[in-house]
Amino acid sequence: MDLIEISWVLLIIGATAAVAWLIAPYITKIYTHESSRIDRIFDPIENLIYRTIGVDKNRGMGWKEYFLTGLSVNLIMMAIAFSIFLFQGVLPLNPQHFSGLNWNLALNNVISFMTNTDLQHYAGESTLSYLSQTAAVQFLMFSAPATGISMAVAMIRGFRVGAKDLGNFYLDFTRTIIRLLLPLSILVSLVLVVLGVPQSISGYAVVRTIEGVTQQIAIGPIASLTSITQLGSNGGGYFGANFAYPFQNPSPVSDILELSLMLLLPTALIFVFGRLLGKKGESKPVFIAAYSMLGINLLIGFLQKVNLGPGIETRIGGFFSTFWTVISTSTNTGSLNASLYAMSPSAVLSSFMSMFIQSTPGAVGTGLIYMIMYVILTVFIVGLMAGRTPEYLGIKITARDVGLIMLAFIIHPIIILIPTILAYTTGAAAQIGIGANAIGFTKIFYEFSSAAANNGSDFFGILANTPFFNIATAIVMFVGRYAPMCILLALSGSILGRKREAMSGLRTDSLVFAVVLVGSIIILVLLVFLPFLALGPILAFFEGRMNFFG
Amino acid sequence: MGSSEARKGSRITSLSRALLDSVKRLSPFSLIANPVMFIVEIAFFIVVLMAIYPVGFGPLAETGERGFYATVATILLFTVWFSTLADALAEQQARNTANSLRQLETQVISTIVITEGWSRKYVTKPSSEIKRGDVILVKKDEIVPMDAEVLEGIAMVDESLLTGESTAVKKAPGDVLIGGSRVISDTLTARVTVNPEDSYIKQMAKMVESSKRPKTANEKAITVVLIGLTAIFSVIILTLIGISLALRLGGDLSVFIALYVCLLPTTIGALLSAIGLSGISRLYKRKIVAKSGKAVETAGDVDIILLDKTGTITVGDREAVEFIPFEGWDERAVGEAAFLSSWYDDTPEGRSIIKLAYKRGYIPKEINELSMSKIYNFSATTRTSGIRLTEVNDEIRTGGKENRRRWWFSRKHADKLVRSTPLTEVEIMKGAPDAIRGIVDSVPMEFDRITDEISSAGETPIAISKDGKAIGMIRLKDVLKQGVMGKIADLKLMGIEPIMITGDQPLTAESIAHEVGIDKYVPRAKPADKYDIVRAQQAESKIVAMIGDGTNDAPALSVADVGLAMNSGTEPAKEAANMIDLESNPAKVMDVVMLGKQLLMTRGAITTFSIANDVAKYFAIVPVLFAATIPQLQALNILGLGLHTAVLSTLIFNAAIIPALIPLAMRGISFKPANTMTLFLRNALIFGVGGVILPFIGIKAIDILLIILRI
Amino acid sequence: MSKIKGNKFGQRVRPLIIISLIFLLICGVAYPLLITGVSQIFVPYQANGELVHYHGSTVGSHLIAQNFTQPEFFHDAVGSTSGVDPDITLQQAYAQVPRISRSTGIPTDSLIALVNANVNPISKFFGDPYVNVLALNLALIKAYPSVYAFVE
Repeated sequence: MDLIEISWVLLIIGATAAVAWLIAPYITKIYTHESSRIDRIFDPIENLIYRTIGVDKNRGMGWKEYFLTGLSVNLIMMAIAFSIFLFQGVLPLNPQHFSGLNWNLALNNVISFMTNTDLQHYAGESTLSYLSQTAAVQFLMFSAPATGISMAVAMIRGFRVGAKDLGNFYLDFTRTIIRLLLPLSILVSLVLVVLGVPQSISGYAVVRTIEGVTQQIAIGPIASLTSITQLGSNGGGYFGANFAYPFQNPSPVSDILELSLMLLLPTALIFVFGRLLGKKGESKPVFIAAYSMLGINLLIGFLQKVNLGPGIETRIGGFFSTFWTVISTSTNTGSLNASLYAMSPSAVLSSFMSMFIQSTPGAVGTGLIYMIMYVILTVFIVGLMAGRTPEYLGIKITARDVGLIMLAFIIHPIIILIPTILAYTTGAAAQIGIGANAIGFTKIFYEFSSAAANNGSDFFGILANTPFFNIATAIVMFVGRYAPMCILLALSGSILGRKREAMSGLRTDSLVFAVVLVGSIIILVLLVFLPFLALGPILAFFEGRMNFFG
Repeated sequence: MGSSEARKGSRITSLSRALLDSVKRLSPFSLIANPVMFIVEIAFFIVVLMAIYPVGFGPLAETGERGFYATVATILLFTVWFSTLADALAEQQARNTANSLRQLETQVISTIVITEGWSRKYVTKPSSEIKRGDVILVKKDEIVPMDAEVLEGIAMVDESLLTGESTAVKKAPGDVLIGGSRVISDTLTARVTVNPEDSYIKQMAKMVESSKRPKTANEKAITVVLIGLTAIFSVIILTLIGISLALRLGGDLSVFIALYVCLLPTTIGALLSAIGLSGISRLYKRKIVAKSGKAVETAGDVDIILLDKTGTITVGDREAVEFIPFEGWDERAVGEAAFLSSWYDDTPEGRSIIKLAYKRGYIPKEINELSMSKIYNFSATTRTSGIRLTEVNDEIRTGGKENRRRWWFSRKHADKLVRSTPLTEVEIMKGAPDAIRGIVDSVPMEFDRITDEISSAGETPIAISKDGKAIGMIRLKDVLKQGVMGKIADLKLMGIEPIMITGDQPLTAESIAHEVGIDKYVPRAKPADKYDIVRAQQAESKIVAMIGDGTNDAPALSVADVGLAMNSGTEPAKEAANMIDLESNPAKVMDVVMLGKQLLMTRGAITTFSIANDVAKYFAIVPVLFAATIPQLQALNILGLGLHTAVLSTLIFNAAIIPALIPLAMRGISFKPANTMTLFLRNALIFGVGGVILPFIGIKAIDILLIILRI
Repeated sequence: MSKIKGNKFGQRVRPLIIISLIFLLICGVAYPLLITGVSQIFVPYQANGELVHYHGSTVGSHLIAQNFTQPEFFHDAVGSTSGVDPDITLQQAYAQVPRISRSTGIPTDSLIALVNANVNPISKFFGDPYVNVLALNLALIKAYPSVYAFVE
């Protein structure tokens, strides 16, 4: 990294964090239901929606009802999208006449998009109809982050002093889309179109080149999908090549904008966290921890230089490709503007760290959920050293709380490690030509790490469109998404109405705590994953590899 | 000489008992209560099997490595044994301290009074056979076998063994006798108020056995973390074994097991129980009996301490320091009047007045008249006390002309006339200024000024009147307990707010509070007010500690998060409290808080240390996991450990760190009072950062040693 | 009994289905149509993929490489991720100058000047400067119409 590159990193991240900080008060009001001037526009729309659904907007939910409502809504949405994928061949808006997907790919797809993973075992431009790209994919790309944000907000509410319930899922979900995701997406989509991202539904263009060759140009409603892809930590692409494809990412300017969008909402939500609690200071350690780990990820990622070459787009270059990869996994968006194969072992190692930690700052909603899990675990382990029974936000941490947190913490390695072993023992890895070596192991390990972290980038793409990988990753994505949500909501729900202490122990809003938090997260995560990293990217690094081709 | 040898002997006996006990605890059935160590023991059995029959383990073991397996198994066994040793030692220590406290009670042979009709029978019995309600006779130089209430007799009792207070205490019917105190004059008959099994000292027995002691909430939560970590490391090791088999990496099971055991939080797993037990032992050593382990932990969380001014901040007694005459009187007159009025006042204040008068040489002539005087005892209604006696005239006295003439008379015929001549009687009264104001005709102009001046200095004014005229005041000063200011400063530094409770009037209270650095105080408090104060603080989410001795304190003691009762206090107070101080020193409530904090810190520090240790162990073992097939991983061998010694060095370090930390676990980590975040930062640096670094050094050192020894 | 249960189930599931359908319509249908409509009206060139017209017919997109093979043209770089990388670096362009010069007779100096003139103006700020292959080739045709007369 030279000075100019370091400046780019600081400038882009600094500007994004600043914008996130600026929009945090607005986002907070969405969930506190504080009245604002824009209510005049949104209230009628939302009230109409509530009336149509038949929901009493004044009724709060306990954690079980909140979680089950969210999960059920997601299941219904998956069912709808599943049908669209399965039957796209006979459904309208299919100018290229693509046939329906096989059931296990369709299942993988719906779970992938609904869980904010966007792992894609297919290439969109040659597989999905316009209806599938919009009504299925794009619809889920709004619903997934809206669910994640709602769950995170509900979790925060439980920690609020004096809270009686966790809120109403229908309201949070509706308001997230209507007041946050949709307006932002409209704005960003239009900017992207201006920057050269196509937006059309009139079918692929067929041209005759000046050499007289017929060329098919795959255009479609790309801008509207691309904006929410990046804003909502989704990461799925209209094209198989994702953001390396020029139509999704036409220039260095669009590249920087799209890169920033990944960081925007996860960061804003950190600031919303403190505001919703009524203790702005509590955002501080979370922000410091998330961003210093992001910094560490960047340092690891840039350890080896990635040069322009195979897998790297000319207009993007090695530096911005590496930068994107780090930011994309740090926010568990999982979109790529270069081939993962072209990435250095150090960049891949950095990606693994992000997918293990999941809160650097992580995906919108779930990043914060994981961070609170780490905060409570850290407070419990080290808090005793302040000479008091550990407490977070004045809540004494009980054996049951620690049990729930440990459960959330242990699920992640289990759903990564077990299928990784299975991929080898069942022969599924060999079937797609994956060898038993550092490179092969890295790829399989990455596949399940990415699925478990709801990240979505992978080495395989269409190669992994086999029943084993489709079904295994589907299960991993599902558990990886809903289990921690369920556990942290259960924890939050159990805190409602619990006695608060005077908050005189370890100060969680201090810089010291932020530093200890980072140390503890890194140690805990390394303890769990170091031997496997050693067999994969670390070994590749020591073998002197520069990328993962071959 | 002899006693030190005996002590040495008993120490050896208790050590050998602990050793024997630690071996017994190796049984899997008793070890199952400690999941981490139980798993290490299972690992031990597996490695033993590997040493016996390596062929049965297929590609995961090699026949040529039998010696290595045997070594690994031995180290694993030691790891488990170190853990049971820590438990046994802590339990032995707790039992020893408990026994030394119990001796205060049990060594006594006492006389029981059995009343049969008109006759009384005396029987001697060991105190263990005495029951509640028995009437005991305690003669001079005998020891009170157990807590009892005096029925007959007045005697001086030495409680110094229990309270540290060297002055003998006068005990009269109705007073409480503390078990273990010694009668030094006269004979007392008393009724035993406790059963041997009720005695708190005996309750300790239940607390000192690690196996029977229920886990506290905090220990349970740590155990959950340990089980969670164990589960994660189990998954990791099983996966590694799976990968080794699937990718044919040729890893050895014993190395996987070694890595597994090293990663398991064995340090804290081994010491957790010992830490908790030692915390209770440390309380016992200070002669405080906690009724539960929870109470000790809660003490560490205290936000507010209610301190009774008397006995905690001040020694409890006020001391006369000055006689202040009113206009028209001199200091001697006031001093002598004070002397006379205090002669029959047996309170510490009364005695201090006499002492001051002696010191100043104000010994009244009427000293011989005292035996014939009329005594006015202090009563709650009049709130004054005093004396009426025949006055001996004195020239210097400026009481009036009549008096002066009489003085001449008595002076001339001093020897024969003092007693025989009927002279004027005087009435000297002393009491609180407002009480004296009520019994005199008028008060001099400076009366209120001096009263206010004394009160605002935090001292107590006592007014003296003579024949209905206020003649002066005595300045009584509170005597601060030694070291109390430092202790209060420490509390405040650690974020604990002391609240002073006193019956004094606001000015006096403010002054004392100010002097010792207390910001909050409750003046004119009655014992019953404590309950409201505790409740009010708890309503603000504060954890409250308090001290109590009277029956009036029982409700507050029972609601307070930490209630420390004085052993000299009443039964209801002791029953309501969750800790009892056998020495009845209320200032020890501050020590209790520090001990609670020490316990929590020790537990947190060793937990953090244990987890932080794992980083180095990875770097030691991962490079050699697949040494044969993936030599490139040697790049991670940043310690440069020997290929064949790395695993053993790490295992030995992992085992040795347990006995190395036993002293720390049993002593508790030492700390200087500081604010919470400073303490945290200090501990985080020592045990967190230190916990990461130390094993790198330790493992390398052991590795060098092993390599040298092999050569 | 089961009827009540069924009703209850229906009551519970109804809002789930309705909210899904509402947002399917809003996010999956209305929103892309809105963006499409606005873009097609205001920025049709970008919205339709920056298609390039030459002599009245559409010959490709500025953003999509088209695998030039004839030696007279600048070729795209092969093997990159998307397979349609429309740009090449200056070095890659310069490397092709001798070949093009050989097959067209255009002096290398002129070709280098042409390449330099077509460098993407913003690319200099973001790392290695690059040129768009299609734009470069069209500029070539425009500058040397006689040489490229074979292009219809």
